[in-house]
Amino acid sequence: MDPIELLRYAAPVAIAALGETVVQRAGLIHISLEGTMLTGAFFAMWVVALTGSVGLGLGAALLIGAAMAIVFGWFTIWRAADQVVVGTALNLLAIGLTGTLFRSQFGQSGKLLSVGKLPTFWGGLDLVLVLLLVGVPVIGFLLAKSSWGLALRSAGEYPKATEAAGYSVLRLRTGAMLVGGMLGGLAGAYLTVGITGSFADNCTAGRGFVAIAMVTFGRWRPWGVLLAALFIGAADSLQFRFQASGVQVPYPLIMAMPYVLTLLVLVVVGKGKRFAGGAPAALGQAFRRGE
Amino acid sequence: MGRNESETVVRTGSGLTVSKIFTYIRMMKLWHLLPILAMVAIGCSAGNETAKTPEGEKPSTTQEFKVALITPGKVNDSGWNALAYDGLQAIKSDMSATVDNQEAAGPKAQEAMRAYAQKGYNLVFGHGYEYNEPGAEIAADFPDTVFVSSSGGKTAKNAGAFRFYLEQGFYLAGVMAAKMSKTGKIGSVAVIDVPSIASTIKAYEAGAKAANPKIVIIPPVFFGNEGDIAGAKKATESVLAQGADFIIHQANSAAQGVFDACKERGANAFGSNSDQNENPSGAVVASATIIAKPAFLALAKQVQEKKYEGAVSLFGMEQDAIDFVINPTFTAKVPPELVKELEQMKADIKSGKLVVPKAEF
Repeated sequence: MDPIELLRYAAPVAIAALGETVVQRAGLIHISLEGTMLTGAFFAMWVVALTGSVGLGLGAALLIGAAMAIVFGWFTIWRAADQVVVGTALNLLAIGLTGTLFRSQFGQSGKLLSVGKLPTFWGGLDLVLVLLLVGVPVIGFLLAKSSWGLALRSAGEYPKATEAAGYSVLRLRTGAMLVGGMLGGLAGAYLTVGITGSFADNCTAGRGFVAIAMVTFGRWRPWGVLLAALFIGAADSLQFRFQASGVQVPYPLIMAMPYVLTLLVLVVVGKGKRFAGGAPAALGQAFRRGE
Repeated sequence: MGRNESETVVRTGSGLTVSKIFTYIRMMKLWHLLPILAMVAIGCSAGNETAKTPEGEKPSTTQEFKVALITPGKVNDSGWNALAYDGLQAIKSDMSATVDNQEAAGPKAQEAMRAYAQKGYNLVFGHGYEYNEPGAEIAADFPDTVFVSSSGGKTAKNAGAFRFYLEQGFYLAGVMAAKMSKTGKIGSVAVIDVPSIASTIKAYEAGAKAANPKIVIIPPVFFGNEGDIAGAKKATESVLAQGADFIIHQANSAAQGVFDACKERGANAFGSNSDQNENPSGAVVASATIIAKPAFLALAKQVQEKKYEGAVSLFGMEQDAIDFVINPTFTAKVPPELVKELEQMKADIKSGKLVVPKAEF
């Protein structure tokens, strides 16, 4: 299939997973990524519907993504609350919030919306796709080579040493959350103002959770994560193609194919260090100063 | 979690002072609950405004006519659930009835029906065949409430079903698609494969085959998640990639993805459930529509006048509840003979000369 089309449909997962890579490298799991994407998707569409400016819509998504990340970060980083509990609550909050606002703005019985989309150039590329393609090597380089990247990774591996070296684990993690939140918001926005020009309740449809799985699949490296997202995107295209060509297999089985593949890969590669780097050692653990 | 918070013991003894309470709150880290509280607050308001605190309502008087609607999905889906919601609103405004609605599926459905019946609702409408059996089951317990489902075959004195014969509209869409397709291929996109959706798509395919036996029908492609517009768009592209140039959908709130893909590839789409001809994509050539309000009003009036008798009734073109509307801006491109043929078919359906296939479920 057309490589740019493949990239376009994989982009929401890829962008969110790129941000999640930074977050997980710092030792957090952004469980509310799905909710962050959904709020980003809604606010981008809303701002575009109000102002007609796609640029403002993307900006709004970055801001709301950062805001969601700050809420998650306040509880999980500064208050050391459980990341799964806070993340789940925020996911539900996002569904309720976007649903309520959508109904209040666009009618109780809903409306099929069509808002302006990102302009494309060079045979289908657009600003966000270019940003993704540039962002992967840039974030990869910063994580691997910069002092910020080194400090951030150490906060995910052995935060006590990070503190001993004079860095603030809490600040490093907050910074990582901001990057993850903004990219999460942007990923959602790309669904509404990049691909479809429309919004519906729960239109992210679990892509945030897929993005979290892609980080493990991609071995916590930006390039690996991008390839993982493209792989799942290709598997998804393939399942639609199977359905349309009338393969005599029940469609739920075909539809499950990308996820079964993901599960298989996760089972095989696991969290361990056997394959090209493993999970950050302090992943998902709250850090309290002075313990 | 580093510290062992669960071991904090809270005594609600007599010496409880305000400062102690604050200490307890701090010790128990109750602010962990804040996002949950916020979620509950928003979650409650996310439900339908009219769905709040049914227990706070006053008991029904003889004059008050109360109608409840239970839907399998969100009422803002611009499709199946939305049309029932609009029907309910028509009952509210035209008959000044008290109305309420909620989303309930699976085991919750019967619970919701019981709750409405206990609160004295005169008519409880379940919008789906899955509400038929639960309704018929509890009908004997609540003789003063009428339970009606969309589709289904079970009846009781005060329980029954009514079904929109949307297959008729889909059949005509199939005829139009088969007669107008330049590639000789047509297709469809839907959320999931449930009996009600499958039956309409079968009718679309039957119409196409009847109009042009050589037409190639691309199998329906399902995208699985209600609301997944991007998924619907990708699914549509996979059908278009097979060469189809006419597509019908059962995508509800994700339909914009179907129309958007058709617009980008220069293909034609059919609207469904509601009249979507004016969709900004400009890709919709015609719509197979359900005109739900008259049917809902007629049913409610029957119940109000205590004339309802448990039955399975069908609302089709004969009752002006189903229509097939060609997009006026597209009419110039439709051969006049085809327009005439479609009109004739409508007349034949109304007179019973043409019976459109439908699945029983």
